[in-house]
Amino acid sequence: MRMTPRASWGVGIALLVIVLAGSGGGAATRGGALTVGLDQDPPTIDPHASPSAVTYQIISSVTENLLFQGTDGKIVPWLATDTKVSPDGKSFTFSLRKDVKFTDGAPLNAATVKWNFDRIVDPNFKAGGALVALTGYTGSKVIDEYTVQVNFKGAYAPFLSYAAGGTLSLVSPKTTPTQGDAVNQKPVGSGPYVVVEYAQKDHITIARDAGYNRRPPWSDHQGPPYLDRIVFKIIPEPGTRVATIESGETQMINALNAPAAVLGRLERNKNLRVERVPYPGAPRIWMLNVTAPPTDDLRVRQALNFGVNRAAFVESVYKGLGKPACAPLTQAMLADPSLCATYPYNPQKAAQLLDEAGWKMGPNNIRMKDGKPLVILINSINYGAGNLPEIELLQGQLLQLGIDARIKSQARPPWYEDNYHCATNGPVMFLRSTDWDGLYALFDSATVHTNFNWSCYSNPEVDRLITEGKGVFDPAKRREIYLRLERILVEQAVSVPLVDEFSVWVLRGNVQGTRFNYSAYPVLSDVSIEK
Amino acid sequence: MTRYISARLLATVPVVAGVTLAVFAMLFLVPGDPVKMMLSEFQTNPEQIARMRAQLHLDEPFYRQYGRFVWGAAHGNLGESIRDRRAVTAEISEVLPATVQLATGALAFAALLGITLGIVAAIRQNSWWDLGSTAVALVGVSMPSFWLGLLLIFVFSLHLGWLPAAGGGGAAHLIMPAVALGLGAAAIIARLTRSSMLEVLRLEYMTTARAKGLAGPSIVLHHGLPNALIPIVTIFGLQFGSLLAGTVIIETVFGRPGIGRLLVNAILDKDFPLVQGVVLFVAMGYVLINLAVDVIYAAIDPRIRYG
Repeated sequence: MRMTPRASWGVGIALLVIVLAGSGGGAATRGGALTVGLDQDPPTIDPHASPSAVTYQIISSVTENLLFQGTDGKIVPWLATDTKVSPDGKSFTFSLRKDVKFTDGAPLNAATVKWNFDRIVDPNFKAGGALVALTGYTGSKVIDEYTVQVNFKGAYAPFLSYAAGGTLSLVSPKTTPTQGDAVNQKPVGSGPYVVVEYAQKDHITIARDAGYNRRPPWSDHQGPPYLDRIVFKIIPEPGTRVATIESGETQMINALNAPAAVLGRLERNKNLRVERVPYPGAPRIWMLNVTAPPTDDLRVRQALNFGVNRAAFVESVYKGLGKPACAPLTQAMLADPSLCATYPYNPQKAAQLLDEAGWKMGPNNIRMKDGKPLVILINSINYGAGNLPEIELLQGQLLQLGIDARIKSQARPPWYEDNYHCATNGPVMFLRSTDWDGLYALFDSATVHTNFNWSCYSNPEVDRLITEGKGVFDPAKRREIYLRLERILVEQAVSVPLVDEFSVWVLRGNVQGTRFNYSAYPVLSDVSIEK
Repeated sequence: MTRYISARLLATVPVVAGVTLAVFAMLFLVPGDPVKMMLSEFQTNPEQIARMRAQLHLDEPFYRQYGRFVWGAAHGNLGESIRDRRAVTAEISEVLPATVQLATGALAFAALLGITLGIVAAIRQNSWWDLGSTAVALVGVSMPSFWLGLLLIFVFSLHLGWLPAAGGGGAAHLIMPAVALGLGAAAIIARLTRSSMLEVLRLEYMTTARAKGLAGPSIVLHHGLPNALIPIVTIFGLQFGSLLAGTVIIETVFGRPGIGRLLVNAILDKDFPLVQGVVLFVAMGYVLINLAVDVIYAAIDPRIRYG
């Protein structure tokens, strides 16, 4: 059984089509090296231990999964040729390919899968994001050499998507137990590339596995990758990263944190190409604390949703980096016209709602009620370079509504702590998730005071629908549940979704064949560099 | 001398203990849970967070966590980084060579440029040379290193294509970071050399030397400079501290591995063991460098004796 989120892509798919059209065709050049500039170094590249997204940008071409989820959201076979789900939704039976070997020679079989998943839940293992992907895991059963059954306490539909995500990719049971700490730097997978060098905080090199003889689901060819090696260079400063792609020192960079104006310049450079893939999960979103005044008043929250001009975000600080958001899940994941129609930009309507809530325009163009000004405290991360531009834009827009928006700009640790304690009117944040179940982390009452229900929102009906969604496998029915959920969240205005962000990469014009997975991470086995 | 060095080395123990305790206490008092932050890029559940906190001993009270660190450090074990899951000693030893290379390069550049400019300004006092040297010093002190770094990248990497913009490695990777980091120190050294040299040039033994017929570079380099250097050497120890602070920015701008970047990231992640380990290392380095400066001081000035 396969789950197929019917993602409506809008602009995202259009861009992707252009990207793929631009990168296909012609015989690929073999050999050469690609240098990729990344924004940060991973804490570990052990897929099961990492809490960091950058890990999966590096190892998406090193380790492989049972399933693959492409940018269209479709889940297709990879190392597992067939997947069967038990009627109660608690057991998943995978039939494995028989020709897979890890790069240390160990064969892939049912015991390997069981060993990998057991490793993640082992209390002595410091698992990262992988542990959540296996929430409720009760164990795996080896049915025969190439058939394994993975079992959960309850029905767990999101598992199919998670089984295709980097956190549950497989490492070799032969080398891993003997590696000790080295597994954090050189995990052994079965993919088309092998990690050959890890220079901490400087670069990580992966080299072509000449013996790779399969065709990954995204690939245009069978056999080893075209490039000899790929060097991932860690360049945290966006200005420097941009300089390296312009000078040719790198041939591909992650454009994260590059100012929108710079991106425009890169796009005009005929030697470069910009590729965008929509991120799954939650958009850049302002979570509204429903327990603290004045955002405990539904009318105020709705006014904020009517009064924030999302188009202005994508025309300025997010130019080329996203599209206006409509709901707590991006439109790449779940799009419906009703969600976008709820809060069109309407400052008059916002003013009317604020009036109804008792906040009348006072002196200095700040609204007042019972002699008190309308003050909203936005919790904002400060990375050391001052206020984030998107927060200042938001502050400016709120001022036009007569709201005195104050920015609590602080470093990561206290920023988190305020969110756990519901101490402000809410933070601006994002969440990457490959399943609609991402709403559990954002809005289930169990995640107040932890990650990430920072709206501090508790609604039994929402909790019920989130639980129901985990147990339904039929794509249409599942979509209906999450759409209902989203409608409640939008009507209750527990957040102001701002921008559906893109994963943006800049490439030299001669780099061909980049592909992406559903997480919007590049998979690089088809990449070649034209001479 | 040996007794003096031993005593100074012993004195590092309370210094390092004080520094680590202060840093540990500060980190502890700043709100924020390192585990929740570390898992912040993914969905998490409370059970996973509690489990990881227990694994990392973060559920223990302050004194036990600090005691655990002290006990480990006394046995040569600085613990394991919360974020990177690796031995702190391994993390430090991997990036230390790059920082030493950068700091040495910057200090060498600062010394060469600063002393040269200072001497030229002193022997050509009130000339265009003096004015030029003052201008360079002013620019060097005023210009933020990150801005100079980006400027260098713009010119030498992007436009001329002579030097790589990012990464650690060989000499080519070192030139721009060393210049960006060292220019401020060069300016300070230049001003100090100038004033020190001016003082020395006016002393009677210099007049005597000139009366004996010595002239030109020889009198400046062999008679003037060794005496003018004494106050300059002391500034080296102090500059080392500010250079270490400067590596934080320069390592980020040039994408270089190093102690500075390691420390800043560790602080932002509230990675207690890593912060403690790096601070311990830097504090010891600072104390040892200043000790070395004192020893060199005695070597170049025979009037100074420690006992």
